[in-house]
Amino acid sequence: MERALIFKEWVKTRMVFFISLGLAVCIGLYTVAMMNRLIELKGVEHLWLIMLLKDNTFIDMIKYVPLLVGLAVGVAQMAPEMAQKRLKLTLHLPYPQRRLVGLMLLTGLAELLVIYLVQALIIMIYDFRILPSELVGRVMLTTLPWYFAGFTAYLFVTAICLEGTWKRRIVLSLLAIAVLMMYFLQPAPEAYNGMLILIIITVVLLTVLSFGSIIRFKEGRQD
Amino acid sequence: MNHDSESVISVKNLTQRYGTGRIIYSDLSFEVPKGRILGLLGKNGTGKTTTINILMGYLRPQKGECRIFGEKITEMSPATRSRIALLIEGHVQYAFMTIEQIERFYSRFYPKWNRDAYYELMNKLHVSPGQKISSMSCGQRSQVALGLILAQNADLLVLDDFSLGLDPGYRRLFIDYLREFAKAEEKTVFMTSHIIQDLERLIDDCIILDYGKILTQMPVDELLRDFSRYTLQTDVPVEKFSADSLFVNPGKIKDELEFYTFKPIDEVRAALGSIGVDSGSLARQEMSLEDAFIGLTGKY
Repeated sequence: MERALIFKEWVKTRMVFFISLGLAVCIGLYTVAMMNRLIELKGVEHLWLIMLLKDNTFIDMIKYVPLLVGLAVGVAQMAPEMAQKRLKLTLHLPYPQRRLVGLMLLTGLAELLVIYLVQALIIMIYDFRILPSELVGRVMLTTLPWYFAGFTAYLFVTAICLEGTWKRRIVLSLLAIAVLMMYFLQPAPEAYNGMLILIIITVVLLTVLSFGSIIRFKEGRQD
Repeated sequence: MNHDSESVISVKNLTQRYGTGRIIYSDLSFEVPKGRILGLLGKNGTGKTTTINILMGYLRPQKGECRIFGEKITEMSPATRSRIALLIEGHVQYAFMTIEQIERFYSRFYPKWNRDAYYELMNKLHVSPGQKISSMSCGQRSQVALGLILAQNADLLVLDDFSLGLDPGYRRLFIDYLREFAKAEEKTVFMTSHIIQDLERLIDDCIILDYGKILTQMPVDELLRDFSRYTLQTDVPVEKFSADSLFVNPGKIKDELEFYTFKPIDEVRAALGSIGVDSGSLARQEMSLEDAFIGLTGKY
């Protein structure tokens, strides 16, 4: 049954998954190509100097990619469930409902994780060739909040899509904007290092939102 | 007969409102016996889909208790859900899947899955297994939904307005397959439809809902035997008949009076005599289920 449920989620999201993966890979490669070009023109020492003295990590291009990917996967996965209230079919399946919703979310999060890991690996593998491990760590720690912003966006979108009332959708959307803005307020590298635990807790807590939307759906709170 | 032990669906004192506003019905109680095909009939807005939503656990009732296979619907287990096949209004299915994918998907959930029943119906549609459901016509989608229900081989079928959007051919196909399946396998069916003439060929029992209450619950053949439509030529004003509960929904066009009643013709003649109306032209008309429905609920 689990395989069937994962298959259903995959059928809905695979096109968006591959487009997102392609986008993430292209932007990851483009970022790497830009760094490589700078090294060819001015040498790797120049790159190090800029990174150390000017707080530049050369990865600004990817900043909003995880966010966009999170939004796209969330919509692709949950919008078909709410169109014509197909969620009724899903909730009628002979499978424990909380586990079912959990499995849906896990599938979406796993897809995001794959996309983010592939992109991060492209940058990391290249960076390890040209930078000391301290600077690679700095780059990765700078990107981490952006990837968590992607997970956050995904969890908000799923909750908003599964929500049955417009009033609550608007409230959730405003809350999502407020929370997501927090991830992008500080432009300096590693600005969020002290908050990473808080960010992880936020992401974990946000999984509850979709369960709440399902409970309200089952109570008949629908427009 | 002890209905509790025989009933597949049991609804007791169900009360529901639109939000905090108009009451849809109050203290609604009915039972669906095992092996029967029951049609829930009512005009738009009388709460047919609401009742199905409550029974399937998509709406919490404001008051009352519903049980399916003896289990409270608010705490329905996956095992009980596997015994219920559900058709959502508009034959909604996972339109993003293909004919083949959706069969494989559902087959993992139902132990009594009958693949042949599904593909027997699909073969009649002349569609390829790789065709997406979203690219099919409404009629074809209805057959996919029906095929999945038949393949599930559930003990209870809950069908919400199966005729919605279907042309007569597909409606007939749906009914023929469903009736043959339900009767051969002794399935219990609880269904609604806004096309009542379709149900006449299918259902054993009917519940006729009016705004806020059940008007009648009885076998269709008993309803058609005992409930009658009469016509009478008279110049007596219709208001005189409205005062007597024997004359259900009386109406008059020119001098022809029309009314419905559960009473036999002798009692009708006696009642007419008691209010001074000549019953010489009284005539009993043959009725369809739709006529009986109109007779009970009125035209407006």
